[in-house]
Amino acid sequence: MTAVVIGASSGLGRALSVELARTGHAVLLVASDARDLAALAADLQLRHGVQVGTLALDLAVAADPGARVMEALAGLPTIRALLLPVGMSRSDDDGSLGPAAIGQLLAINLHAPIAVAHALLPALLESRAAIVGFGSIAGARGRSRNIVYAAAKRGLETFFESLRHRHLPTALRVQFYRLGFLRSNLTFGMKLPLPAAEPEVVARKVIAGLRKGSFDRYQPRWWGMIALIVRCLPWFAFRRMKD
Amino acid sequence: MSRRGFALAETELRSFDRSVVARCHVQRPDRYRLIEALPADVQRITRGGGVSYVGASFASDSVVQDLGAFDRLLEFDAQRGLITVEAGARIGDVVRFALAHGWLLPVAPGHPRATIGGCIAADVHGKNPARDGTFRRHVEAIELFDPVSGWIAASAEENAGRFAACFAGFGIPGLIGSATLRLAPAAHAYSLRSIAVADLAEAREVLLAHAGAPLLYGWHDGRPGHFGRGVIRFGLEAKSEQHTPRRPLPDLPSAVEPWPITAWNRLGITMMNGWIRQRWCRSDSRHVAIESALFPLNDARRYFAGFGKPGFVEAQWLVPHARFVEFAATLAAEVARQRPRISLIASKLFDGEADGFRFDGKGISLAIQMPQPQAPAQAAFIESLTELAILHGGRPNLIKDSSLRADSARRAITRFDEARAALRQFDPHELQRSEMTRRLQL
Repeated sequence: MTAVVIGASSGLGRALSVELARTGHAVLLVASDARDLAALAADLQLRHGVQVGTLALDLAVAADPGARVMEALAGLPTIRALLLPVGMSRSDDDGSLGPAAIGQLLAINLHAPIAVAHALLPALLESRAAIVGFGSIAGARGRSRNIVYAAAKRGLETFFESLRHRHLPTALRVQFYRLGFLRSNLTFGMKLPLPAAEPEVVARKVIAGLRKGSFDRYQPRWWGMIALIVRCLPWFAFRRMKD
Repeated sequence: MSRRGFALAETELRSFDRSVVARCHVQRPDRYRLIEALPADVQRITRGGGVSYVGASFASDSVVQDLGAFDRLLEFDAQRGLITVEAGARIGDVVRFALAHGWLLPVAPGHPRATIGGCIAADVHGKNPARDGTFRRHVEAIELFDPVSGWIAASAEENAGRFAACFAGFGIPGLIGSATLRLAPAAHAYSLRSIAVADLAEAREVLLAHAGAPLLYGWHDGRPGHFGRGVIRFGLEAKSEQHTPRRPLPDLPSAVEPWPITAWNRLGITMMNGWIRQRWCRSDSRHVAIESALFPLNDARRYFAGFGKPGFVEAQWLVPHARFVEFAATLAAEVARQRPRISLIASKLFDGEADGFRFDGKGISLAIQMPQPQAPAQAAFIESLTELAILHGGRPNLIKDSSLRADSARRAITRFDEARAALRQFDPHELQRSEMTRRLQL
């Protein structure tokens, strides 16, 4: 059975790809750069002996990313999971972005995951598969930083809630993880107020949870408490939060 | 901190021997385009496992490009024994993969977290350099990134000059991105034997007598009165698959947490030498797993921790055969006079050609490790050792000795300026700089 990973070449996407291969899944890796994909695919094939397909696709400009993913699935075993750890943020996402930059953030963080999910939905339903989305703690409450990114992630969260509302877990397992800080290129060099989780640790938990039905949870789980506190903060206190 | 679209972290980096420390700007690319994103005019140095003893992979005024994410296996030809890996692949992982497929990388340094790029940049030696040469003998091709020219394929046939310069080039000819390595068929295990020796002169004779063994190295007592006494260990390929006594140990970490005190004072060194002597000086043979034999440092975590926070220093010199006995005798006299605290001495046999900055030649190498390099008595002895080694035609291992000064290196290495120019022709703006290249004026 095949798992599709959108945004496979770095961070959590790479860790998920490695964990899927380690546990014997064939994988279709989707990312923007063919060189990164080729290197990762070769490594997974050599180390784990699994079937690996790749698709180099720039999600910011692809008109119909779902169709491209469907084409790339040809020749691979039946799809049993779609994982969407794709994401992009910018340090200047503070309300000053131009339309092109806003479009790029929305395309990668919201439009592409929804478009790919729509395109693959019939195949996912047919094989009673799992679809896994990834939100961010940044979407817990709107702030003056990561404005477009957080809006996109909140939108993705709503999309997954709709999917969960529409499909019984026996037909489609809809899983959504709201991630806390991850040790990745997005957070490298940043002074974070709370510890960052290792992508490999999160990946192990996500893959182990693939068979567990539909849910919506924080990962690491203790971020749920942080999010609750942030949501409960009175506005005058929340306005003063910088990190 | 962010510079022109790629993330840089400001962090403190330290050499494995703890003697070199600097606050650095580190880039940790995880995609090829991020390697290329660093502007061409930025001073930089590549970092692999970060286990060199000399600060070869960082500098306070360079951007450190950490290739830890580029650790993938790219191609494996199981028929011909060729493997292509990214430069950040750790030698321990590559060796384990090769062994699982019946192949062996004949040259591996003692630390399993050294990366393939680091092994090339330092042209490391393995467990018997007289038989297997240094790392360069087993490299078929390299792909490297030049800030100005971009990606370059290099081999003995293509860009041969730059290919040769990569070995003991300390990162100056460019960022090594990947390499194709030649493997050799692997034995099931090694049958390890030990021969006790009374001094370093006898050690040389035993090393020469077993030059063809795949494993060949000596351990020696460095204390006055016992100087040079020790054991030569040699391993032969086991004829049959036999039970090896224990599972390989976990890999030694890149940085060993030091003990709060320095254990290797005179009493500690005496006890350690006694323990090693009792453990190693057995005349019977025993089988060891190849992985365990290749990475003996996995068994030395407490040894390195015992140097405490001040760390240690290692000086390694290759002395020609014709001068070695005299050198060893003079060194013994100097040890008796100065009474330095030497924690261990390791000996190896070399039979290659000295060229450029490579640690190779025909003779015996002695690696001398000592605690607290900044202590006046220890520093004075290292100074004497350097002078003695140069006087006897010794060649220093630049990747080991953090105490070596530029003027000493210049006197010890013939045609130093020529070798330096041969490297810098590939980096005319001197963008590739580490704490080591700065100290040695490479």
